[in-house]
Amino acid sequence: MAAQKNIPKDAQVMMAILKEMGVTEYEPRVINQMLEFSYRYITDVLDEAKVYSSHANKKMIDVEDVKLAVQCLLEHSFTSPPPRDLLMDLARQKNSVPLPPIRPYTGPKLPPERYCLTAANYRLKPLRKPSVESSAMPLVLTSSGLSRIGTQQQLSGIGKLSSHSLAGGKLSLNMMGRGAPGQPTITIKPAPTSTVLSVPSSITQVPIIRFNPGQASGATVIGGHMASVTPKVVMSTIITPSQPSVSTVDISSLKRKHEDDDYDAS
Amino acid sequence: MAAIKQEIEGKKDGITNKDTLLAVLKFLKENNLKGTEELLLKEANVKDEDLKQQDQSDVSSALAAYKSESDPSVYEEYYTSLKTFIESSLDVHKCELSMVLYPVFVQMYLELVYNNHEGEAIAFFEKFNKDQESYYEEDLKQLFTVTKAEHMARNQLMENFKSSEFTLRMSRDSYNHLKRYLLDKKHTVLLNIIQEHLFIDVYDGVPRTKLQIDSTAGGVLGEARRDANKAKVYYGLMKEPDINIPLDDDDGETEGEDKPKKKKPKKDLLLSRKTKNDPNAPPMNRIPLPEVKDHHKLEKVKSLKESLKRVSVAPDHLPSICFYTFLNSYSGVTSVDITEDSSTMSAGFSDSYIRVFSLNQSKLRCVKQRDALGVIDPLADDVLERMMDDRTATVYKTLLGHSGMVCATSFNPDRSFMLSSSTDGTIRLWSTATWTNLVCYKGHNYPVWDVKFGPYGHYFVSGGHDNTARLWSTDHYQPLRLFAGHLADIDTVRFHPNSCYVATGSTDRTVRLWDVHSGSCVRIMTGHKAPIHTLEFSPDGRYIASAGVDQVILLWDVASGELAGQLKGHTGTIYSLAYSREGATLASGACDNTVKLWDVNKLLDDQDGEGITTANLVNSTSYEIGSYPTKSTPVLSLHFTRRNLLLAAGPYVP
Repeated sequence: MAAQKNIPKDAQVMMAILKEMGVTEYEPRVINQMLEFSYRYITDVLDEAKVYSSHANKKMIDVEDVKLAVQCLLEHSFTSPPPRDLLMDLARQKNSVPLPPIRPYTGPKLPPERYCLTAANYRLKPLRKPSVESSAMPLVLTSSGLSRIGTQQQLSGIGKLSSHSLAGGKLSLNMMGRGAPGQPTITIKPAPTSTVLSVPSSITQVPIIRFNPGQASGATVIGGHMASVTPKVVMSTIITPSQPSVSTVDISSLKRKHEDDDYDAS
Repeated sequence: MAAIKQEIEGKKDGITNKDTLLAVLKFLKENNLKGTEELLLKEANVKDEDLKQQDQSDVSSALAAYKSESDPSVYEEYYTSLKTFIESSLDVHKCELSMVLYPVFVQMYLELVYNNHEGEAIAFFEKFNKDQESYYEEDLKQLFTVTKAEHMARNQLMENFKSSEFTLRMSRDSYNHLKRYLLDKKHTVLLNIIQEHLFIDVYDGVPRTKLQIDSTAGGVLGEARRDANKAKVYYGLMKEPDINIPLDDDDGETEGEDKPKKKKPKKDLLLSRKTKNDPNAPPMNRIPLPEVKDHHKLEKVKSLKESLKRVSVAPDHLPSICFYTFLNSYSGVTSVDITEDSSTMSAGFSDSYIRVFSLNQSKLRCVKQRDALGVIDPLADDVLERMMDDRTATVYKTLLGHSGMVCATSFNPDRSFMLSSSTDGTIRLWSTATWTNLVCYKGHNYPVWDVKFGPYGHYFVSGGHDNTARLWSTDHYQPLRLFAGHLADIDTVRFHPNSCYVATGSTDRTVRLWDVHSGSCVRIMTGHKAPIHTLEFSPDGRYIASAGVDQVILLWDVASGELAGQLKGHTGTIYSLAYSREGATLASGACDNTVKLWDVNKLLDDQDGEGITTANLVNSTSYEIGSYPTKSTPVLSLHFTRRNLLLAAGPYVP
């Protein structure tokens, strides 16, 4: 044992507690761990007590507040097993059900699939198909006829495009172009939100660019990503081929439907 | 005990506690509470003459019975007088009566604490706690931490003391003696305590000696009541299904002529046991059991063939011991389990790993991948062999899955599954074909200290910190049976060889036997003086051997629930027990780094079936037939192979 005077008072108190509880042999680090634990526990209790005392509009923490705080912490962190009479009751209920018969010749006897860990915990991403890609290329009308968007410059020839950059939200692209008769106009409106659950990309808006040619029938084009940073980026992303949202899946359908499979006595 | 109370109060009539009623009336009258008094008179139909019988002293004594706010110094006085009375009584009665002191002491202390007499409680405790028996020391330590009424609410031990009764067994003579004393002294407090918190199981017979009492004392709440051990227990083994064993073995043909003759009688012995009808065996349909498959039959044949080569273990024919030492594990190994055919061993570690080792020449194989499996012809004879991938076979496999220390592992009899339980409260089922985790059984929310498969597979039992043992089957995600009744953690669980009963050993120093069919406790066996860490059923199912921190192995007779024998000799906590295959020898391994062998047959022969008597207890013949020390390696697990070679395992702890 190290010289008593070098050890701080708290540690001495902890050593005395250990001795009183009958613990004679312990590594020296045990005292530090116990001190840390007691510090953390007491701060938690006092924090809780402060909450209760301020709720009761008291200026200072009271013994009652501390008592309440201790009780609450006991129920949250330091739970103990259920009392014996409750267990006997539960046991009586459970033991009254006769043992279920064993179905023969069913291979390894395991619980139903959803209670096992045998399901795959991965899902394969489908391969991209080329035809979808080309149709996903956005078409922009220029005065020279339908052509793919080449550069920003071309597009700027159409008219002033004002686009707001939004952080992950809706993007509205207002075409302030000449709606000259005979000229097909492009209206871009944000698509209804749907969460695309494909692995690498983030959840994005998929605006539908509706293209109304003056004479020909319209063609609905599905635009690409709308990144939300700058107009330039926005434009360039229209160019990029879109991810086919074939694998758009509703998140909710992936969640297993939980029945009341909580542990119960019945 | 009710008789005593009535005698003291001296009345036998309709209204209960008539004295109290009269006392209350008197009290009301004295304090001029006329209205209340008249109302009470009318309601209770008290006649006038009864009123006159009361006088002052009776009032206060009757009321004092309800107020436990009696003067705290009185407790010390009562306890001392009880002690002197007991010491002055005849020797014959002294031992039995002194058993009363401990529960009375505890209850008095609790009452003082409950009524907020903290100082007196502590003084009372310090004065008398040294007098108590040594095996109650742990409980007393816990008791001492309870000094305020608020502490009592959360302490589990206190709840048990308050709600349940401490059981004592006493002969009629001693009981009458005690009754006379209590009637003479009229110490109401003492009387109340004894009445409410003590259950005295009176039996007609000779008072027991100190040794006899000591042998069954030690349970947290005293001994077991006699009627707790009355239910019939089917301890026999189940009838085995008929198996046609090919009598013309390959071995038999190659060896000499005399060999087959030697083999036949042995075979007959093993076979004949099956056909006899054992009255103590449970009927086959008592609990649903999995059907017997072909590979079970093959396994059985193999097992019988190996058993023929068995060497029976006897004092003059000691077994060889093969010890598996875990090096560099720094006590990380917490449990070890070996399969029935001794081919595979699994070890659970405190860092949540499980390692499975192969103990014979063959390596551990895994099932092939899906593509490779597709090309196998399912109708081939050796399809099961072809399914396994020899290229990736290794000598050991590591299984990860738990999030806490692995406390126990268990293989099922045909080695297709393995279970592991851990301090994270879950039990995991692993497949030994794919070496993956198949199911996670959640039910205990507290550490699960032990898990064991049943002898026919399919069922397994687990016991943990929540004081319950649960019976599960591999195809249900919730337990089928809940065995509740223990007062402290369950440290060890075992199935009876006929799969109809489960034995549990606990920190409350009792061993209980539970019926799988009904879930009720059929036997309570007290006698251990410290937590129990290991249990074993004898191969014929008649006896249970249990051992733990108190370093003594106790043998219990399952049929009666009585103690059948004591084996003393170890100097450290015993962690493992194993019976030899024919049940004649018991091996035990302990923290004192030794493996000891005991001659069980001799112990049982010496008793001639009469059970334990003082003579046996005094008898100092040691039944120890061998003691094998290791080099600072506590013995965690013992296993007799089919040929009676003893395998042992433990971590090297320098």
